[in-house]
Amino acid sequence: MKIQVFLCVLLSFVSTAFTQEKQIDFNSEKNIKKFADYLFCDKDYLRAAEEYQRLNAYKENDTIIFKSGLSYLFIGDYSTSIDNFAKISNSSLFYKNSKLEQMKAHYLKKDYSVMRSFYKNNFTNEYDYSDQAEKLFYFSYLVSEDQLPQKEKFLIPFNSNENEIISSFYDWKNDPPYKSSALAGILSAIIPGSGKIYTGDISDGIFSFLVTGVFTFLAYDNFHADHDTRAWIFTGLAAFFYGGNVYGSVAAAQIHNAKITFEFNDGLNVFLQNKNYFVPVYDFCN
Amino acid sequence: MIFVTKIRVISFILFIPVLLLQAQDSFEEQFQLAKNLYVKENYYDAITELKRLLFFDNGGKYLFEANDLIGQCYKQGGKFTDAIRYFILAEINTKNPDQVYKEKVGIVRINILRKTTESAFRILNSLETDSRFKDKIDITNYWRGWAYIFSDDWVNAEATFAKIDSAHQLQKLAEKVNNELYSVGFAKAISYIIPGAGQIYTGEYLSGIMSLGWNVLWGYLTVQAFAADRIFDGIMIANFLFLRFYRGNLQNAENFAIEKNLKISNNALHYLQYEYKGLKP
Repeated sequence: MKIQVFLCVLLSFVSTAFTQEKQIDFNSEKNIKKFADYLFCDKDYLRAAEEYQRLNAYKENDTIIFKSGLSYLFIGDYSTSIDNFAKISNSSLFYKNSKLEQMKAHYLKKDYSVMRSFYKNNFTNEYDYSDQAEKLFYFSYLVSEDQLPQKEKFLIPFNSNENEIISSFYDWKNDPPYKSSALAGILSAIIPGSGKIYTGDISDGIFSFLVTGVFTFLAYDNFHADHDTRAWIFTGLAAFFYGGNVYGSVAAAQIHNAKITFEFNDGLNVFLQNKNYFVPVYDFCN
Repeated sequence: MIFVTKIRVISFILFIPVLLLQAQDSFEEQFQLAKNLYVKENYYDAITELKRLLFFDNGGKYLFEANDLIGQCYKQGGKFTDAIRYFILAEINTKNPDQVYKEKVGIVRINILRKTTESAFRILNSLETDSRFKDKIDITNYWRGWAYIFSDDWVNAEATFAKIDSAHQLQKLAEKVNNELYSVGFAKAISYIIPGAGQIYTGEYLSGIMSLGWNVLWGYLTVQAFAADRIFDGIMIANFLFLRFYRGNLQNAENFAIEKNLKISNNALHYLQYEYKGLKP
């Protein structure tokens, strides 16, 4: 009898333990956090942010708020990201990082003037990460239309490895190698094709010169030989190619300038992404 | 007393499966929740709940079903690369050949949709040569036919659907499209002989006549210039005008044929998308 009762009790414990192991409350605080952390490390940031928001502990836990802010930053929701980082109190370990991340979010939001005010109000020389913040502060002048600071002052925050490339970006921004579309048009109006040669399209320029020249000669030659019909056809063709050559030169200058702007912005983005926007890399997943 | 004890033991033994059943329920409930979200076309939330299920399913019981359903959700959301990733994960966790076939066909269908038909053909070839799927040859051919349609190869599509059934609805459609399509090579060839003929063949009469007119005009002026010993004039007119319009006529004929064929193909695809009732990629 006793053995039977003992077996019953034992079985009861085993089955209860087994049940607890298999029964999972998917929506308990602990499990939501575990799942959110998994999503964060799986780079499924939108879902991770949503899961973090579901946590009741969300309002108090600075790590969760910080990771939530990072999640929103990664998915491009910069305003929500800034709101999250702003919630981190000054007693938190993440406080200084959150300030830097807010600067990054303002930069990515293209709110350059807000970003600069934020920098001036929150970073001093004694402050941690003030070097990184200062770099981003000055770098923002390269992407905005605002007046560039003095070159010597501009280059101070950057180290010797960065100095050369930042200096070339500065020079490029200060004096971009643009071509004047008006000058290209005028040049081609005087000598067909010369506007295209000015914008660097040498073969196009020579071709324009030859085609316009040949049709003009044919028109002249036919008028001279009293072949009026043919002469007018060639005159029309010469005028057509001449007009096209002027228009094409203006367009070539505009295309050249667009290409220069694109390459410059692309270079800035690549550089900044390689530098991770001058913010530290966090390792929450290992 | 002995009777009472026996009843207790029996009751307890009966109680164990009930507990186990309850244990299964929380995962099953989660899976059903995700399935309901999928049915309601709430694919984003369905994926979240399936990922949650997979994350906590340490026993791996739902690895196949959940990954398959995530793949379906991503497919419905047009995220084909993600869909393929999850179909592959489901395929890794299959339990029988039917599930393998299902996942492989799922990947084929995505490849058809995103027009990476070379990958679709590669998988279909492997399915065709796999002895486990000999009895599914008609299904394999069905999707091969669709892959040909999306590769714009209506001739092979017609032949492939004919292997399933000579009166197959899609075979008839492919045959009709084949009959309507213009030959790009022929359009170009006749334009070599008579400028503008290719355009007229594709139904672009005005363009054909204009092309013929321009070629005759510049050809006449070229010949006239050479006949009058104005060699420079002749070379210039021939080079910059006659040959330019002649080349343009050839390109024009080719482009018209390609454009018309595209319209015919698109009309067929429109029919397949909105009116065809059978299984679609």
